[in-house]
Amino acid sequence: MQEPYKIEHRLAAIRPVGLRDLLAAAWAIFIKDLRSELRTRYALNALVLFAASAAVAVSLGVGFIGLRRSEEYLLIQSALLWIALLFAALNGLSRGFVYEEETRTMAALRLAAPPIAVYLGKLLFNLALLVLLGTVTSLLFIVLVRIEVGSPLAFTLVLSAGGFCLATATTILAAIIARASFKSALFAVLAFPLLVPPLIVAIQATALTLDTAGMALALPAIRTLMAYAVAMFVASLMLFRFVWEA
Amino acid sequence: MAQRMAQAAKLLIGVWIAGVAVAMFLVVPQYEGLGNAGRIIMMHVPTAWVSVLAFSISALFSGLYLWRGQPKHDDYALASAESGFLFTVLATVTGAIFSQVVWGVYWNWDPRQTSIFILLLIYAAMFALRSSIEDVARRRQLSAVYSLFAFVTMPFLIFVAPRISDSTLHPNCAFLQGSKCEGVELGVGRLGLLGDRKVELVGLDRVGDVVTAKVEVTEPGMSSVTALSPTYDTANHKILERPNFPGLRFRLVVEDVNLATNSVRLNIEAPGTGLIDNGRTLFTFLASIVGFTALFFWMLNVRATLLNVEWALARREGSRV
Repeated sequence: MQEPYKIEHRLAAIRPVGLRDLLAAAWAIFIKDLRSELRTRYALNALVLFAASAAVAVSLGVGFIGLRRSEEYLLIQSALLWIALLFAALNGLSRGFVYEEETRTMAALRLAAPPIAVYLGKLLFNLALLVLLGTVTSLLFIVLVRIEVGSPLAFTLVLSAGGFCLATATTILAAIIARASFKSALFAVLAFPLLVPPLIVAIQATALTLDTAGMALALPAIRTLMAYAVAMFVASLMLFRFVWEA
Repeated sequence: MAQRMAQAAKLLIGVWIAGVAVAMFLVVPQYEGLGNAGRIIMMHVPTAWVSVLAFSISALFSGLYLWRGQPKHDDYALASAESGFLFTVLATVTGAIFSQVVWGVYWNWDPRQTSIFILLLIYAAMFALRSSIEDVARRRQLSAVYSLFAFVTMPFLIFVAPRISDSTLHPNCAFLQGSKCEGVELGVGRLGLLGDRKVELVGLDRVGDVVTAKVEVTEPGMSSVTALSPTYDTANHKILERPNFPGLRFRLVVEDVNLATNSVRLNIEAPGTGLIDNGRTLFTFLASIVGFTALFFWMLNVRATLLNVEWALARREGSRV
């Protein structure tokens, strides 16, 4: 026989959730997304195939051996790398929330976890996608476009900080556009203005890390990118509740 | 009573702006070297200021809407964004015209141009978001969130981006009294950047109290190199000669000389620097800022009231159906 619905149960639902429970819920959502992604591989395919075709297209134009490694050429290379990353990200990162809306699992998710946990889980998923995307794209660029990385540590740090900016800025936007029509076009329109400032910094910093004297020169840019990402992250934490309720 | 006051305010703003427009051409003296083109500053700076103000007010009302949930606040947020968009377009266009006259290009991705471009994109994105959500309450809530989220990036646009980029020829740092371009401190044989020009201090000549700095200026893209020699009087601390950058109306000056380290502080001067000391210019400028701000608030009020009426009408018709 089923237990009668007690008042304590209802209170438990209202009571603020502890940090540990919150993180556990976020982790569970992350694992769930990972599983369902591995089932369809929609975002994975979109991201990796986009990165591969971008790298090949760029390589056809600027990959030949005769090019001189001037300061301008390094800037062009890093701009091309970030264009590939940006467009792949704009293709794939909205998937997390749009998928929930398409399969009509949004309501179930709303019942199952507090909003912050949903946000954190989706952010983790986007970060994982971006780690994969960054690795694949930069490897392809190293092989096909013959980017020579002067200081690998600084290069990795700039890429991670830039990726963190991409993820924090786009995750809440994905939740917003999941409720709107013209989803994918709107996602790019909403995300692009917020991504221009970190892109400017990241492109310049990546060009510096391709040169040999990377770390010392790239550090201020890495700090700026991290500051931007943290600002976006905190704003998302505060605003996500309203998106989730809407 | 309230209606009569609104009528009076409307008339007052109209007369005030007309007065500013007349003063812009008749009262303000010409900027030296810029001819009549300098007068556009009287329109450009206030519209740019209003575009940022409107964005902030829109974010403020968006926050109020999320907090209180009153549709009235969202009307104000939307009205502010709409009039702000208009002023942003005006600021961009007047700036581009001025840029064509002074720099020879309409657009060169100066940090301030970049930030106003992003502001335009954000406004456009807000309108696109609003038009793509059917449900009214959801549309209001989500666009309020986007408006606040975009507002968080503002400090980065205004304060961080111009500092990271090493290239700004934007006259904002030279036209206003008291504000200054940073300039560069260079020893002999050192390189530096002024605006988008590379400068190298080749040598320092000293005759009596007068120091002549020999500076090589390289165009962007390394296309050509010109030698300029600005001079400075160390006894009276006065700038003597201010040669023009090749092809530009901006001038190169020596602001300070340190003979112990054999170095000088070089800077850009826009034509007309110091002329804002002139009271007529300053007062017209302030009057223009006050006028445009008042105009914005009037537009905000009218548009928000209209939106409110529109909303009430739609609801009444909806209830009849």
